This record gives sequence, structure tokens and C-alpha cells, in this order.
Amino acid sequence: MATNTPSVFLLMINGQIEGANFPEYDELYCKYCFVYGHDWAPTSGLEEGISQITSKGRNSPHTLVWNFPLEITFKSTNPFGWPQIVVSVYGPDTFGNDVVRGYGATHIPITPGQHTRTIPMFVPESTSRLQKFTSWLLGRRPEFTDPKVVALGEGREVTRVRSQGYVSLSFNIVSKDMKRLGYDTTPTETAQTSSHTHAAGIGPGDQPYSL
Amino acid sequence: MAELHIIGQIVGASGFPQSSLFCKWGIHTGGAWRLLSGLKEGQTQVDLPQTGDMAYWSHPIDLHYTTKGLQGWPKLHLQVWHQDSFGRCQLYGYGYCHVPSSPGHHHIRCVTWRPLGSWQEQIAQTFVGGGPQLRSPDIIYSGADRYRLHTEAMGTVQLELGIIMRHFDRYGVES
Repeated sequence: MATNTPSVFLLMINGQIEGANFPEYDELYCKYCFVYGHDWAPTSGLEEGISQITSKGRNSPHTLVWNFPLEITFKSTNPFGWPQIVVSVYGPDTFGNDVVRGYGATHIPITPGQHTRTIPMFVPESTSRLQKFTSWLLGRRPEFTDPKVVALGEGREVTRVRSQGYVSLSFNIVSKDMKRLGYDTTPTETAQTSSHTHAAGIGPGDQPYSL
Repeated sequence: MAELHIIGQIVGASGFPQSSLFCKWGIHTGGAWRLLSGLKEGQTQVDLPQTGDMAYWSHPIDLHYTTKGLQGWPKLHLQVWHQDSFGRCQLYGYGYCHVPSSPGHHHIRCVTWRPLGSWQEQIAQTFVGGGPQLRSPDIIYSGADRYRLHTEAMGTVQLELGIIMRHFDRYGVES
């Protein structure tokens, strides 16, 4: 097909939002969207979605199951701005209003193959005591106007959050033409065993002493 | 020139005396390295976990470097701080880790430490908080002036980093 060097690479993401673990809440649904850099563009698939409302099973008092499909393909010229998936979870409060129960984000895995990710979920907290009191009184929780801020590194120092619960995702990643553009995302075959031990030894936590 | 992409997250921290933690982070490289895009320092949100002692930040990192040499491979340095209910901040730990030098996905546990004062200072610290801090934060990632310090162990910071390398093989670099 394309014999000369290509200019773009493709990243195909197939996966699902398997479910969540929120010990305190029930009847939750989730939304997802992708956040990516300027060089990236989706070529097919859905960029956003809203799941069904799910309740905890009788046999599994902790897990909520969505089994919600994710299928999207991106093209890009540059790995910078690698796509992140932002998941936000909503559910009814005691008055029946939908309030946010968690935001979370993770990068799409960079290596081809099957991956699972468990992402921690958090909600923003009011910073002032007056706001805390009024939000308690009116039953309105603070929310992000745009959930995409959880995928940005800037402006986080002013945010106070409370983490509660997890969402588990599974991915099947296929990339095309990354190798041909010179990008290595996996250790080279010959150095597989040695580079693996080497990579594991980099984190100071992996040194032989145990803490 | 060879290119290096660092894509991942500062996931969170555990093993600290109290939660309600945040983290200041930065990347230090040698002179041959040039940052093309991305933020090379930042500060995470403050997390008060509802359950458990792990504070989660999920702070995204996405950096694009080019390099002319291997010396000064990027190092990530961290400062973990505690914020109390009055908004006062206290240092809880310093730590650094090398950015992995092989492509792929890496889970990193970065151990941290904090300086220990004299015994009078330590007693004062247990009652009123605070504590000594480094005057020059370069000591976090250099081994030169460490021998004069007296430190104690603190918790660990967890990171997930994905490494993409480009054209390193063109220069015969094996990774």
C-alpha cells in the first residue's frame, strides 16, 4: 500500500468502561470524553458517550457494571498530546438530583496490546467554609464546568479534591506506522530480558531493600 | 536528533503520616536536552481521600524532548506537602527518580525522605508542625552535598510513565 514513508500514524483504541467501585453510592452513570493535543484528530468512532444507569448487583455489593464500549481511532504526526480519556460519574443524591460522584482521567496506553487501568475518582471540594455550608444546605456539590480540566496539568494547585471510588477500564490498542516513523514504544526484542530488569531497577522503590 | 516522549501520570502517594497531600514536581535534564513542548514543572491538586491512606492526584505529564547526547538523562524530582484544614502547608518529603530509559510502560515507586532537625527541633515539630526544608532544592536530585544531611524516611509516590523513543537506534543507542 504505502511504500514510501508515511507522515501520520494511527492509534486504534477498542475497549470498554467495565465498571466502578463506589462503596457509598448507587445508581450511577458515567460520561466519557477524550482530550488530545493539537496534532491529533479522531478519524472514526465516538469521542463522547453517556452510559446507562447501573445499580450494584445483589451478589457483588461493591461493583457497578457498565460494560460500556469504547471504539475510536486517532491519527497524529506527533506523540505529544497523547489522548487521555476523562471519565466522570454521576448519580442521584437524597433529593433525586444528579450530582457528580467522581472525575478521573488516564492516558490511553502507549504500547499495543491488551491493558486494564483502574483510575481513582475524585470530586472537587469547596475551599471556603461558607461555600461548604451553602452547598450542604442546598444539596449542590461543587463541579467542574468542563470535565476536561482533569486532563490538564496547569492550574491544579488551587484545587482541593476528595478521592472516593475507582473506575476500571480495559483497552485493546493497535498502532499503525509508529515504528515506520521511527517511534519505539516497546523495548527492542534482543534486549528484552536485560532491559526489563534494568527498567525495573530505575525506580528507587525497586531497590533490593524493602521498606 | 533523537527524541524522547514522556507520557504518564503522577498517580498518588501513600505511607505519609497524614493524607491531604499535594505534590510539587519538576524535571531536570542535562545541557544536551531541549524541551520542545509540554510542562516541565507543576503542582498537583490537594487530595483528602475518603477512605484509605493513599492520596490520588492523577496529575498528567506529557513532555517532548530532543537530545544531542545521553548525559543528563531526565530526572523527575518531587516534593510532597501536607495541607492542613487551615490551609497551612508543611513539607512531608523529597524524592526523585530517573525517567526510565527503555520504551514502554513503567510503574515507578519513588521513595521519599525529609530532613531531620536537631532533637529540640524534632520535639518542636511533633507539637507545632513545620520542620526544616532544603535551602537549595537541587540536593533532591544530586548526590554532591548530601553527606551533611540527616534525614528520615517518609512515604512513597507512585507514577505511571510511558516512554516513547525516536531515532535513538539511528545513533546506535540500545535501550
